[in-house]
Amino acid sequence: MSQGRYTSPSAPPSLGRRGPMARMGMPVQKAKDSKKTLRRLTGYLRREIRYVLFLCAAVVVGVAAGVMAPRFQAEAINRINDPTLGKLVPVLVMMLAFYLVYGAVTLSQGYISARLSQRVVKRLRGDLFKKIVNLPISYIDSHSHGDIMSRMTNDAENISMIVSSSLSSLFSGVLTLLGTIAMMLSYSPLLTLLSCSTVLLTILFTALITKYMRKYFVKRQKLLGKLNGTVEETVTNARTVTAYNRQKAEVEGFSKTADELTKTGIIAEIIGGSMGPVMNMLSNISFVVVAVFGARFALSGDISVGVISAFIIYAKQFSRPINEIAQLYGQIQTAIAGGERIFEILDEKEEDKSGGKAPRPLHGTIEFKNVNFSYVPGRQVIKNFSLKISSGKKIALVGSTGSGKTTIINLLMRFYPIDSGEILLDGKSIYDISTDELRNEIGIVLQDTVLFSDTVRNNLCYASRDIDEKEMQKAAALSRCDDMIANLQDGYDTCLESSGANLSQGQRQLMTICRAFLSHPSILILDEATSSVDTRTEMDIQDAMAELMKQRTSLIIAHRLSTIQDADEIIVMDQGAIVESGSHEELLKKQGRYHKLYMTQFAGQET
Amino acid sequence: MLKFLKKYWWIGLIGSMFMVGEVLIDLIQPRMMARIVDEGILAPVPDEALVWRVGLKMILVVMLGGCCGILSGVFVNICAQHFGNDLRKACFERIMNFSFEQTDDFTTGSLITRTTSDVTQVQNMLSQLIRGAVRCMMFFIAGSTFLITLNVAFTKVLMFTLPIILLEIAFVVWKSGPLFTLLQRRLDRVNSVIGENVAGERVVKAFVQEKSETEKFQKANSDLVDTQFRVLILLSWMRPIMNIVLNVATVAVIYIGGQQVRARGMDIGQLMAAITYLSQILNGMMMLAMIFQTITRGIASAKRLKEVLSSRPVIRDGDREDVPLKGGSIELRNVSFTYPGHHHEVLKHINLRVEAGQTLAVIGATGSGKSTLVSLIPRFYDAPEGSVLVDGEDVKRYKLDDLRSRIAFVLQKSELFSGTIKQNILIGKPGAGDDEIQKAASCAQADEFIRLQQNGYDTPVAEAGMSLSGGQKQRVAISRALLRDAEILILDDSTSALDLGTEDRLFKALDANYGHLTRIIIAQRIATVMRADRIAVLDRGRIVGLGSHGELMASCPVYREIYDSQLRKGGRRA
Repeated sequence: MSQGRYTSPSAPPSLGRRGPMARMGMPVQKAKDSKKTLRRLTGYLRREIRYVLFLCAAVVVGVAAGVMAPRFQAEAINRINDPTLGKLVPVLVMMLAFYLVYGAVTLSQGYISARLSQRVVKRLRGDLFKKIVNLPISYIDSHSHGDIMSRMTNDAENISMIVSSSLSSLFSGVLTLLGTIAMMLSYSPLLTLLSCSTVLLTILFTALITKYMRKYFVKRQKLLGKLNGTVEETVTNARTVTAYNRQKAEVEGFSKTADELTKTGIIAEIIGGSMGPVMNMLSNISFVVVAVFGARFALSGDISVGVISAFIIYAKQFSRPINEIAQLYGQIQTAIAGGERIFEILDEKEEDKSGGKAPRPLHGTIEFKNVNFSYVPGRQVIKNFSLKISSGKKIALVGSTGSGKTTIINLLMRFYPIDSGEILLDGKSIYDISTDELRNEIGIVLQDTVLFSDTVRNNLCYASRDIDEKEMQKAAALSRCDDMIANLQDGYDTCLESSGANLSQGQRQLMTICRAFLSHPSILILDEATSSVDTRTEMDIQDAMAELMKQRTSLIIAHRLSTIQDADEIIVMDQGAIVESGSHEELLKKQGRYHKLYMTQFAGQET
Repeated sequence: MLKFLKKYWWIGLIGSMFMVGEVLIDLIQPRMMARIVDEGILAPVPDEALVWRVGLKMILVVMLGGCCGILSGVFVNICAQHFGNDLRKACFERIMNFSFEQTDDFTTGSLITRTTSDVTQVQNMLSQLIRGAVRCMMFFIAGSTFLITLNVAFTKVLMFTLPIILLEIAFVVWKSGPLFTLLQRRLDRVNSVIGENVAGERVVKAFVQEKSETEKFQKANSDLVDTQFRVLILLSWMRPIMNIVLNVATVAVIYIGGQQVRARGMDIGQLMAAITYLSQILNGMMMLAMIFQTITRGIASAKRLKEVLSSRPVIRDGDREDVPLKGGSIELRNVSFTYPGHHHEVLKHINLRVEAGQTLAVIGATGSGKSTLVSLIPRFYDAPEGSVLVDGEDVKRYKLDDLRSRIAFVLQKSELFSGTIKQNILIGKPGAGDDEIQKAASCAQADEFIRLQQNGYDTPVAEAGMSLSGGQKQRVAISRALLRDAEILILDDSTSALDLGTEDRLFKALDANYGHLTRIIIAQRIATVMRADRIAVLDRGRIVGLGSHGELMASCPVYREIYDSQLRKGGRRA
């Protein structure tokens, strides 16, 4: 039963009475160095100091009004009981005034904390994103994408929740607690002590049940993760599942996890759900205690009846913040752990972008001088690699998987720093050219065809939004993706859904080639860029490229030898070093490794 | 959706009965409290014994109420969770039987949310309905009755406050519904920008777009934050207004009660009970607002689930049992095909026959319909025009399991599952022995690199096969297909990431060990296709050439062009 339930000023809106309990049962993650993280998080608050101060002021006024109001109620009841004490109406007017102030303050409190939390989370997320785009490739390559994602979304969200709801709850909770105790003490110290006894029970019970609940909630969370993983995998791989008649097996596996989840979920919810009734019971017991002892003290004339009525409200007001603070503790811990993970990224060193301007006009001469490189110390991938590419030439890199072709590109783009040696562009070390300048000069088509969930137009004109229609269409025609785009629903304005997943691999490759064409590079790099494109289309593209890249340097990696036959120079790589180089004809004459590769391609074919 | 409740409705009913019990007990207490005050404390001769007696009774009643509360929780939970579980399983099973066009229609992402969070929403709605709604209604009905029986004068207070509260709830629910939808969309957008940037960081850097991507993100971020702010503000109005209404009503009750007490119409204790009832009624209303939100979201989710559950699989079993094995000949008769929802015809009047044990290679430009052609054989899609036959029988007449177990299909994009390499290969033939697995893997040229992995065949494949290179993934997928013991093997451009030497060895091993299979091989390289018995040349959805390499060189200009493009013999085409 609830006697005079004055809702706490800033408790977050929750789904019924069991709502907040569920959140309380969420697995709590612990931070390694909470103090430091907390300090940095408050740093974000400090930048919003105006809002924080307003919030504090609102909380103080609100708590004061909330604590004072029951006093008037007590007085009113006393006056009804004993009209000699004075008129009723003035007390009621005061009561009303206090409640109105209380209401207004609650409202502004809600407004300020919403503003505050949204500003903080916006800045935090923004900082994080800015950091992520500027991290070195090696960080992205070596960390799980899912993990980085969850730091930006879940962790940031947790912090926002803490700021929006919990911060003021915590503050007002503590103040209410202190205010209520003071009020109660002023009425009757003995009765205060008695009502505190049930509060103790509440705390004990909360601590106990939370421990059990956490165990089951953690288990449930894990099972839920497993279940979601299964769904994600089977739906994404639906084609394989269908082709191999795996539907029944997958449904069975899913059902097993789902049943287990249900079992755990029922236990978790029952424990969590019992919290409400038990709390209710405890608060009712506290009510009886107040009533019985209040009656006794009233009989002995120590207190008035009005005081009993006020006490009943205060006892409620008293146990509420304790419950809340207990819940907040877990939430705050989780948020701090999240904050720590966010700061981990924010503390990462950014990519070294330093350097000056690129030589102008750029001829596109590239020179590798004794370059050594290893991704992992001790496992050298590129060994003493030297290569000079004169401007305007078309160079091809061939070799089996793992021979280091893509690594060379990674180094040239400054995606990874070399261990020793030199890479020169028109005679200037690429480390003396800023990455922005360097990469602006190089157009690249990567092995994995990344497109963005945007219109076709914006995907093609990715390098610069100022490309005009004619130019774009010309590039699309050159890269042979104009027909395919014309077949799309809205042509160039078609929005690619989920990063262009509905396009075939070959179509995606054509679009990424067009994108590179439109960046007007001095150097063009194609890394297995046409592996899923048929050879005739590929030849068309190459002819277009030859026209486009006249006077410019291009670097091509391909498995298909037909792709690279007419290159000015073919570099055959093996285990991070050059084993052969020369033109197609020269290499064939040599009867070396290239010749062997070439022969496999046309094995069994009469020439 | 209701049929899922059939098995469990009675459990829910028991749960709501216990809830009624809990609420009733909650409502009795203020009366007992009133007795304590009026007859115990304020009686002409204060009666301490009565205070104790009623007090103890109250504690007992409260305990009973607590038990009711816990039991109601137990039953409602059992009901809702089992309901949710059945729903989830049914949903997943239905999705598993979807054909590709259905999966494409719904999109992968939405199917995932539907089976996970939508089911949870509906489940929450159910437990809210049987618990929260019952609780609210009881508080409202019984609370009002009790309040009015205390003194009819309080009816006035209720008549003024209730409409205000109901209006407010209606307003918030009405306003917040669309806002929540918008919020979800904005959140999706932020997530998609982050996801794409993490996955496509190389491209972002290569095109020096860090600044514009950050701007893009800041815009999405601002949109999200603004919407979230609007939601928070809307919800933050709710509580203060409720509080003000509640408190004004309390003042009114005290005022009216005061008059009544003076007129000897009621006692002080009863007045205190009245204040409690009032707050219980209004709190019940407040809960109703929250329940409404859950229900609004629940209904939206239920709709989404219904869409899944009510879509019948487009491709269904045929009626023929046990079609005898005849070596796996394939025939396409006058087949035309357009993807559902598109207008562009991908295949046009295809006629093609592959004899049992023969190898057919398919070559053609990007988008010429090669993959579409082979996906009609295991009925990934059904051709609306013409017919596809396997062993002389229309594929539509087979049981799907029978048909697909005769075909080993290697997809263009290798799909690997989390688990070990061995588990991934075993998908081809669950329960196969180690020697079988190894035989398939060596033929697929995978055995060697698998053995070099840390734990050999038991090495786990990381998230979507991130730890394996493209060529390695393709070879695992081929091993899986070879293990299958099917009559028909289809390779859909599935050796594109292999270097030439490896590909050559793979095909030689295929000839040696799996020469009896009917094979269809899609490829880009002439060297790959010329091994086949016959080659079909596809161009814009038509077969423009069919025959051996020699025949095609003589008769098919498109084929010759492809050949020239790979050899560059005739120089550049004009």
